[in-house]
Amino acid sequence: MLMIAVKAFLILLYATFMGFMFMGIIRIVTARIHRRVGPPIYQPILDTIKLLSKKSNITHGLIYDFGVIYALGATILALMFIPLGGVSILRAYGDLILITFLLEIPMLGIMFAAMSSGNPWAGLGAQRALLTLLAIQVPLGFAIVALAEFYGTFSTYEIVMAQQTVGWSITHLPLLLAAIAYDIVLQAMFGKEPFDIMIAPGEISLGPMVEFGGKHMGILQIQHAIALFAETLFFSNIFLGGAVVTAFASPILNTIASLAVLLIKQLAVLMIAIFIGVIFPRFTIDQAARFYWKWPTIIAAAGAILAAL
Amino acid sequence: MVDWRLFEPLFEFARKRSLWIVAFCTGCGGIEMPPLMTSRYDLERFGMMPNPAPRMADLFLITGYVTPKTLKRIIITYEMQPDPKYVLAHGSCPLNGGIYWDAYNAIKHLDRYIPVDVVIAGCMPRPEAVMDGIKKLMEMIENGTADGWKRYRENYEWYKKNQDELFGEGWREREARRWIPWLMDKKKKEK
Repeated sequence: MLMIAVKAFLILLYATFMGFMFMGIIRIVTARIHRRVGPPIYQPILDTIKLLSKKSNITHGLIYDFGVIYALGATILALMFIPLGGVSILRAYGDLILITFLLEIPMLGIMFAAMSSGNPWAGLGAQRALLTLLAIQVPLGFAIVALAEFYGTFSTYEIVMAQQTVGWSITHLPLLLAAIAYDIVLQAMFGKEPFDIMIAPGEISLGPMVEFGGKHMGILQIQHAIALFAETLFFSNIFLGGAVVTAFASPILNTIASLAVLLIKQLAVLMIAIFIGVIFPRFTIDQAARFYWKWPTIIAAAGAILAAL
Repeated sequence: MVDWRLFEPLFEFARKRSLWIVAFCTGCGGIEMPPLMTSRYDLERFGMMPNPAPRMADLFLITGYVTPKTLKRIIITYEMQPDPKYVLAHGSCPLNGGIYWDAYNAIKHLDRYIPVDVVIAGCMPRPEAVMDGIKKLMEMIENGTADGWKRYRENYEWYKKNQDELFGEGWREREARRWIPWLMDKKKKEK
């Protein structure tokens, strides 16, 4: 029991730290593409320390506090279900549908909190976030169905193990189509550029985030870091082969090696998202919904049909 | 419990290196912001970010002359920010009126209405001057002399007296009534 608690704590620590590094990498790479120098890589950690050390804090009631904690808790739970090399604790129960559901829950928590603050921008942003959530469901569902149909299981861990024998998912045509659709969906889950309709800085003043300040925003920063880590981890597990390293004799070395392999795959997923995010402008909400219900849906549905044949 | 005073140097360092600017550009100084933020002078090196939300802002830039109408918004935005907050007045106009020294509708001394930490003189200050002011502000945060938010709390009576002299008694309620009439009606009913 104690072992599991220690393991869970270590996973959480690693995920939070790496998530903050990912946030720093996003800011640096964006800056380099703009031909700027950019902030140091530890900048998001400084931001979070600053936000948590604010001397005054504003709350708008119980739901406002609860929504933030709810978002953080759901993200941590999602992280525990995703296989992380050989150390994950709940991976045996890691159902594909469960994990995708848990990765979307935080948005709902943030929306609760934003709506209860009564700020009109927050309400507008929450509406847009709901519509985005609705738009990404269709291609996401087809991509999950394609995966489950191809491997004949919903378990993430079994999919990772199956990929060790049959090769990465993206080397098979039906799953390559599903991966493309899922990657487009990932862009909206990260809140990156063509689909950052819900936060839209400068247009609706950060949308749902506008009323958060001080410690609430600090907790949301931590949540964002863990969510970044969990989403890239999930993608590299189900489409990029995960990591099961058994080359070394010692289990600790194996674990470190598999974490390193996973990290490289996660960085690749992150880089694609950054590059797409930096070079594209923003969609409006109706364009985004129409886009999601057309192209990614067609690609993912084709993948699902091919996988079923 | 943990003694948080132990971590105060870390907090001060984080506050210094992660100033989020509330995007409230009054007057002509707003035009100096794009070169500061983009690749020419790149303020993000110091962790500064323009931020549209006053709730998570630390640094409030007053970038130009202030009229009574803008001043109302400035005071309300300033009071919305959570507590360690810093004000940087930018250009001669908020300092002593500048070229509007005899205008009937410009505020000559901004620091009578809200506390100002650093003032950059010039009409308009170049981005280099603004960066110099920001560096000065960072030094002041580090040695604890950027205490405008403390002064506002301690001398609130004085600031409020000056504000009321300009706008008349009860101007906050009148403004709020114009923006959020449904909320004010509800409050009145509750009373």
